[in-house]
Amino acid sequence: MDKCIACGVCTEKCPKKVDDPYNENMIKRKAIYVEYSQAVPLKYAIDPEICLYLTKGKCGTCAKKCPAGAINFDDKEEKATIQVGSVILCPGFTAFDPSKFDNYKYIEFPNVVTSMEYERILSSTGPFQGHLVRVSDHEEPKKIAWLQCVGSRDMNKCDHPYCSSVCCMYAIKEAVISKEHASDELDAAIFFMDMRTNGKDFERYYDRARDEHGVRFIRSRIHTIVEDPETHDLILEYVDEKGGKKVETFNMVVLSVGMESSKELVEFSERLGIELNEDNFAQTETFNPVESSRKGVYVCGAFQEPKDIPYSVMEASAAACEAQTSLSDARNTLVKAKTYPEEKDISTEEPRIGVFVCKCGTNIAGTVDVPAVAEYARSLPGVAYVEENLFTCSQDSQDKMTEIIKKEGLNRVVVAACTPKTHEPLFQETLRNAGLNQYLFEMANIRNQCSWIHPQEKEKATEKAKDLVHMAVAKVGLLEPLSQPTIPVNNTALVIGGGISGMMSALGLADQGFRAHLVEQSNELGGNALRLYETPKGEKIADRVKEIVKRVKNNPLIDVYTDAAIIQSTGFVGNFETDISHKGNDVHLKHGAVVVAVGAEEYKPDEYLYGEDDRIFTHLDFDQALSSGDERVGNAKTAVFIQCVGSREPERPYCSKICCTHSVNSALKLKEKNPEMDIYILYRDMRTYGRREELYAEARKKGVIFIRYDLERKPKVVKDGQDIAITVKDPILDRDLEIRPDLLVLASAIVPRDNSAISKMFKLSLNDDGFFTEAHAKLRPVEFTTDGIFLAGLAHYPKPIEESISQAKAAASRAAVTLSKDEITVEGIVSQVDESLCRGCGLCVPLCPYGALEVRDTEQGKKVHVTEVLCKGCGICAATCYQHALSVKSYTDSQLESLVEALLG
Amino acid sequence: MCTGRVDPAIIAKAFKKGLDGLIIVGCFIGECHYVSGNIQAKAKIDMTRRLLKHIGLNENRLSFQHCSSGEATRFVEIVNEFDKTIHELGPIGGESDRVKGPELFRKLEAAEAVLAGEKMRWVIGKKTEFLEKGNFYGEVFTEHEFNRAIDMIIVEETEVQEILGKLKEGVQSVKALAGSLAIPSERVFRYINALKRKEMVQLETVSGRSPLYKVIPQGV
Repeated sequence: MDKCIACGVCTEKCPKKVDDPYNENMIKRKAIYVEYSQAVPLKYAIDPEICLYLTKGKCGTCAKKCPAGAINFDDKEEKATIQVGSVILCPGFTAFDPSKFDNYKYIEFPNVVTSMEYERILSSTGPFQGHLVRVSDHEEPKKIAWLQCVGSRDMNKCDHPYCSSVCCMYAIKEAVISKEHASDELDAAIFFMDMRTNGKDFERYYDRARDEHGVRFIRSRIHTIVEDPETHDLILEYVDEKGGKKVETFNMVVLSVGMESSKELVEFSERLGIELNEDNFAQTETFNPVESSRKGVYVCGAFQEPKDIPYSVMEASAAACEAQTSLSDARNTLVKAKTYPEEKDISTEEPRIGVFVCKCGTNIAGTVDVPAVAEYARSLPGVAYVEENLFTCSQDSQDKMTEIIKKEGLNRVVVAACTPKTHEPLFQETLRNAGLNQYLFEMANIRNQCSWIHPQEKEKATEKAKDLVHMAVAKVGLLEPLSQPTIPVNNTALVIGGGISGMMSALGLADQGFRAHLVEQSNELGGNALRLYETPKGEKIADRVKEIVKRVKNNPLIDVYTDAAIIQSTGFVGNFETDISHKGNDVHLKHGAVVVAVGAEEYKPDEYLYGEDDRIFTHLDFDQALSSGDERVGNAKTAVFIQCVGSREPERPYCSKICCTHSVNSALKLKEKNPEMDIYILYRDMRTYGRREELYAEARKKGVIFIRYDLERKPKVVKDGQDIAITVKDPILDRDLEIRPDLLVLASAIVPRDNSAISKMFKLSLNDDGFFTEAHAKLRPVEFTTDGIFLAGLAHYPKPIEESISQAKAAASRAAVTLSKDEITVEGIVSQVDESLCRGCGLCVPLCPYGALEVRDTEQGKKVHVTEVLCKGCGICAATCYQHALSVKSYTDSQLESLVEALLG
Repeated sequence: MCTGRVDPAIIAKAFKKGLDGLIIVGCFIGECHYVSGNIQAKAKIDMTRRLLKHIGLNENRLSFQHCSSGEATRFVEIVNEFDKTIHELGPIGGESDRVKGPELFRKLEAAEAVLAGEKMRWVIGKKTEFLEKGNFYGEVFTEHEFNRAIDMIIVEETEVQEILGKLKEGVQSVKALAGSLAIPSERVFRYINALKRKEMVQLETVSGRSPLYKVIPQGV
């Protein structure tokens, strides 16, 4: 594998083709292949079940053609035993196979595809190069239908009572992208039961898809697909909400298939002794969301329950936190530090540039005249040494390069070869081994950007290669050695907020051996959760929270500050200093990381007569009434829940995510106490995602009545004498119903606190709804763009306890990456300020995505300061500064201009 | 490094050196590896295209496109399409550019100074703020309003830089400047007065009834 240079000759010459599972078997791949274009490492592999040489002992073409001699047919699978302290299971999911459904005719009708197939069709690396065409005739469809809940929320045909959580959102995304891809107007229709866009910023996406992109949303479950045998169009018959029968023809139908655990995975879990639940997902508890039934084995992602990317990533970090906890004693015990020779001082030397031109076997030399390029390089100013290599990256070439740098006294190096993406670190390592600063290096990509793309134009390719080498030589002569200073790290964390998330973050850190300051504004720990009643699994929430509080208070590594407020904070990753006011006294804290877990609040409704009658509750009020055995609850015969109170409204257009499950759970608790009770839940879409769907089904079975309403026709609540009278239009009967309940529970929204002070202090951004904005919605859900600061719990977005705990542990895990180091190495390529030019105007400050810039008072007046450890070297500031005081090291104006100069003369 | 590092001034410099086309390909908006760098890049490149068009260069010689690292096919399409465009446009300063030959390169010199200069960089640096939060007075701009303001700045700044460029060649009167640059003399007079206040231009001598001005070299 070390020898493979990923040139792709083997795949080109391989005679054996097989269905490509990455492209859902819609096209073929070869027996020697790379699974997908972004594969890391980019190395080719042989499919041993297909390969003619491995199956029949003949062929072997790839070995003959491989320029690097990288093919070894004798490689065998090896069995190895590895000693580990923790195991993390993240085997993922299998997409539901709809071929067993006789009503959708997925196998027979070519233009019925699954959503996974459709994803590949849309992809530019997919079977049709990203052109939106249908399978039967490769024509662009004009009308596409998506059918939701295929293999989800279905007991009759597939034993999957759960909701797969992700399909609503991906169907909307596919519909929107399709509309963007389509050359003409595309009619996209999504047939659904409940639209479950309960993730952060998902509801806005849904609104935009409907209102701006014109995606049609039709609330109906399709039972049968019929094909027109001539055109292969598909005819859908459905019943609309009023009971009217409709028939529509589509060119293509996408089945939004759900997630399941494969049979192999179920067997694997059995072998490992991991308990699964009835739906074949790993059994976990609300308060230990990533712990499997077997000690030391942790689970995350869709194996635990169907979930989307952000929550999978959070759980992955949470599982890492748990795994590290039991391994914290062993941390750094197996690490060996690498040493390098002392760096040579070249500051007074004229550039002596070495140019190494790689042939890459025939990859470069087959197209580019390498000797001519080398000869040209010799003519360039500052070039002291030029060499051609068969493979510059091979170990012997590297050893030789080290010697040449020393012997020839080279102080700059250019390698004209492949891409810095894969090879720059290797060559930089060679420079370090030769005592040169690693930044005195440039690569000219004469393979990927030249020989590979111009095989038909050899002379022009050679000229282009010369230009590329000329540019690299011009720039390398201007490069300066860059230092990579280290800064010390304070191993303590500050956790802001003493609710479940804050406490679990603090515990996650303390259990790994890090000290945590836990700051809570109220006089007790526990937060909103102290007022909650029971989880659907019957766990008494307040009791469990009190246990957590006890663990926090008894932990010697956690310093608790209740009745405390953050006054101000300065510093950066590894080195923060924060002043807090604790019970009236000022306390100065030093810490290396921050976890923001400030929580959120329940919205106090200003409608539905809230506050005007003591039989009208919010969820928190009602949970307290339930736990205290309030007789208003005990005596009630009829209860009504109204959903989306304050959520999904024009002024608060997000979904609060937890209220549907909360209402269903409360209804079930009421039914448990009094099975005769009449319970009505007035809803807009029931968003009992994942396995919460089963509570919804149970509630319906137990006689809870669900009535849907629209935003345009919200229920009316009035007082009629002593009665609370609620009027709601039943969409199926199409007439008003009146209910006179003894209890009215308003499922009110979760609203963010006033986060402006903390947002300003730590330079963290808030979204339009007032929740904190993470670094990346999908891939970095617990980090901020500013290093060293992390996010957990309701401050990020409304979420249930298990997700808050996962996120809290994930934040602890990510913070530990910094806290476990004694020092951080600063990147060499960062911004620098020429203070003699800087006017301290501050134009650059808000444009820095990483909070690395600030204006400071100096003796020479206001000047911008770069906190190098936060800088990622993007260069936005340098391209903005009108004084040209800011520049990025190794990418200064003059260094970039040297490239232009070399190219255009 | 990010597309956000692409300095508009270096774009003008490259065209000045005879580049026929420049394509900048970066991440999709919303998927920037450096969070928001490509939004800044877009603001800068959009503005640069308006400026290039104003001075008589065909603005299609500069293109900003988006492509993810996994989309090889798309990248090839984008580059081939651009290559075709540039071949159709022909060499810089030729038929497809409104202003030709040496005159265009003189104007590019002025453009480079505008793009490296304080006013344009300040306004572009403030674009996100003006569009999202509003200016000092709380006025939130639409993209259209912002572009209208940019167009005005482009006209004024280019004329100022053209005047400075001419004066670098030697002392000149307002009338002579107005004649050679085809700018109305009252505007030239106004610019000269502003430049005098900023101590960038001074009165050298009076020839007949015409005052002659010269550039005051600016120390860096």
